[in-house]
Amino acid sequence: MNAVEMKNVRFAYVKDTWVLRGVNFTAEYGKITLLSGMSGDGKSTLLSIICGIIPNMTPGTLEGETVVAGNDVRGMKASEISRTVGCVLQNAELQIVQNIVEDEVAFGCENLAMPQEMIEKRVKAACAMMEIDPSLKTRTLSGGQKQRLITAATLAMGQKIIILDEPLANLDKEGTHTLMTALRRLTARGYCVIVSEHRLDMVLPFVDDVWNISEGVVRKVEDKQAYLRSQAEIIRDICSPPQEKIPLLTLTGITKSFGKREILRGVDLTVYKGERLLILGQNGCGKTTLMRIIARLERQDGGKIEQFIDKKPGSRRASRRWFREVGVVYQNPNYQLFMPTVRKEIEFGAESKEYADEIIDMFDLHSLETRHPQSLSEGQKRRVSIAAVVASRPKILLLDEPTVGQDYAGLQRLVDVLGKIHMRDNNTMITVTHDLRPAQALCDRAVLIEGGKAAKEGDKNLVQTYFTK
Amino acid sequence: MIDTFHAKRPVYPLFGFFAALLIFAAGLATAKHVEGMWYLLAVWVWFLLFGYWRSCLIIIPCAAVVAGIFAGITYLSSRELGATLAAVSRSAAVCLAVLPGLSLPAVKLTRNLSQIHVPRSVTLGMMIVLSFAPLLGKEIKRIREAMRTRGAGSLLNPKVLYRALLVPFAARLVNISDTLSLSVETRGFRTGKVPYTIYHPVKLTMRDVIFLLGLVAGSAAIIVLCFI
Repeated sequence: MNAVEMKNVRFAYVKDTWVLRGVNFTAEYGKITLLSGMSGDGKSTLLSIICGIIPNMTPGTLEGETVVAGNDVRGMKASEISRTVGCVLQNAELQIVQNIVEDEVAFGCENLAMPQEMIEKRVKAACAMMEIDPSLKTRTLSGGQKQRLITAATLAMGQKIIILDEPLANLDKEGTHTLMTALRRLTARGYCVIVSEHRLDMVLPFVDDVWNISEGVVRKVEDKQAYLRSQAEIIRDICSPPQEKIPLLTLTGITKSFGKREILRGVDLTVYKGERLLILGQNGCGKTTLMRIIARLERQDGGKIEQFIDKKPGSRRASRRWFREVGVVYQNPNYQLFMPTVRKEIEFGAESKEYADEIIDMFDLHSLETRHPQSLSEGQKRRVSIAAVVASRPKILLLDEPTVGQDYAGLQRLVDVLGKIHMRDNNTMITVTHDLRPAQALCDRAVLIEGGKAAKEGDKNLVQTYFTK
Repeated sequence: MIDTFHAKRPVYPLFGFFAALLIFAAGLATAKHVEGMWYLLAVWVWFLLFGYWRSCLIIIPCAAVVAGIFAGITYLSSRELGATLAAVSRSAAVCLAVLPGLSLPAVKLTRNLSQIHVPRSVTLGMMIVLSFAPLLGKEIKRIREAMRTRGAGSLLNPKVLYRALLVPFAARLVNISDTLSLSVETRGFRTGKVPYTIYHPVKLTMRDVIFLLGLVAGSAAIIVLCFI
């Protein structure tokens, strides 16, 4: 039975510029339906129509018929639709309303006027399902934990139709497996789950139906396995590891706590010149904190860092000279984009206009050149932020989840470009990623953070073992 | 409402607000009397006894700075010790009056207001605004960090300030408020007379009554002592 049915749906944010051009799409109860496609091709737009965000809160021209749980949603408010459709949007961090995890998960249930005892049960069940401690403060959670929280908050509401827009962004492999298994259990109980996701290697084994969106039209993918092969293959490494081991950074006994939460408990790590180091670990294990300490954006509580990057590191605060040597790509690209166009954003840090052109070419940003960076999709913003940082030719490049929001073709291109730049400039790259597909191609050496320490070190085999164990 | 200030067991929110008004009024009224200072000290100890030790300690340096500024201005303009001490008392009264509000988690206040049927659009708006304050601080910090990492230049340069701080900050604010409103709406939040549940309603206890009665008695006593 169809839970969602779209017939000849067309939508334009700006008059006559159709993002969706006659979409015919169905999702059934008892199945996980995957919506796949390139970054910026309209996946979120389609999901927003089902949730009622479009046209209620995001205006535009909408034509065609969308039937959800037997009701035509035309004229219905998003809050009315939310009684039957649970929706996990992108950007989990910005959706949090409450200070405590338990209150956040209970918020939707309160709005649905559930009895207190039922809310308590659902909060417990949803938190257990998403493996998140209900007593934690929401602002202290890591990116992945926030994603789990928002998913738990939606699952607790118990609607029979659940929509998840890039739910695996920032989730580690355990979190991904937990979520997908939970969704599988829900579909076995007759729920309809619609997922939009780029990490196809993680979702395809769990999904029943696959739809591909391209140029504003959706088509059902008949051969799931062939599609998986075309989208989820491990990306090949084009670089070779450095011959010499010259220390660039030596971290000894690094500790860091946030309030009472001890994140790092004595990390010992050496980073060598010209290597590509991959940092692995579960959500909330302290990978981003470690990166921030390395970048001198955060000070460690204890331990010592010896660096051979800047001979005059100056005071406690990192200088401008330091950041000319050390390029930092944030987990959230929104903070780092401030110029009025993508071209100016790239030119800002580039040594010359010619080099900016080269970077624009390498990252395939020609079609976005005149756009305002803040108007781009999340995946496109991430690509631009990486390009903008790379344009300043840092000797050390710190990349925190650089592949989130990238479609497979974009991912291949991104990894290829980073590899080429690494070979040409002999830069040192330190990357955090939860994505198996590019992990080995971004790694000469890997370190696993576990229990607040660098628990294991190894080569590509460690990456393989970590992701497949 | 900042996490650092939160008391583990804050008093009943509405009592807290009433207490704030009382301290403010009695503190200002008795500011010119030496007894007024003893009253404020007693109130501070009263808060300590009811578990507000963290905010009580944090407020001391803040109160010292505020009182110092106002006392300095008053002394320079009047050259009178009495007026200067009154300025100190007034500043201390304001700082103490702020204390119950600062120590209260936003969710308790909004739940309490919902219990007395204040419209949900008001209570939720209030909660979002209150939780926005620490978020904004974090956002500004992150944007400034990002500026440094990309070598955006000094904030003293108006062009840099506008381009690299204000524009991303405004964009973030719009993004945050848009996403928050989407999040709230898609999680079934409705205004108007619609049924909803208050998970963990705030309950009035004997401890709250004792707190307020003690404060009312103390305030009444100081007014009598100073004016009658």
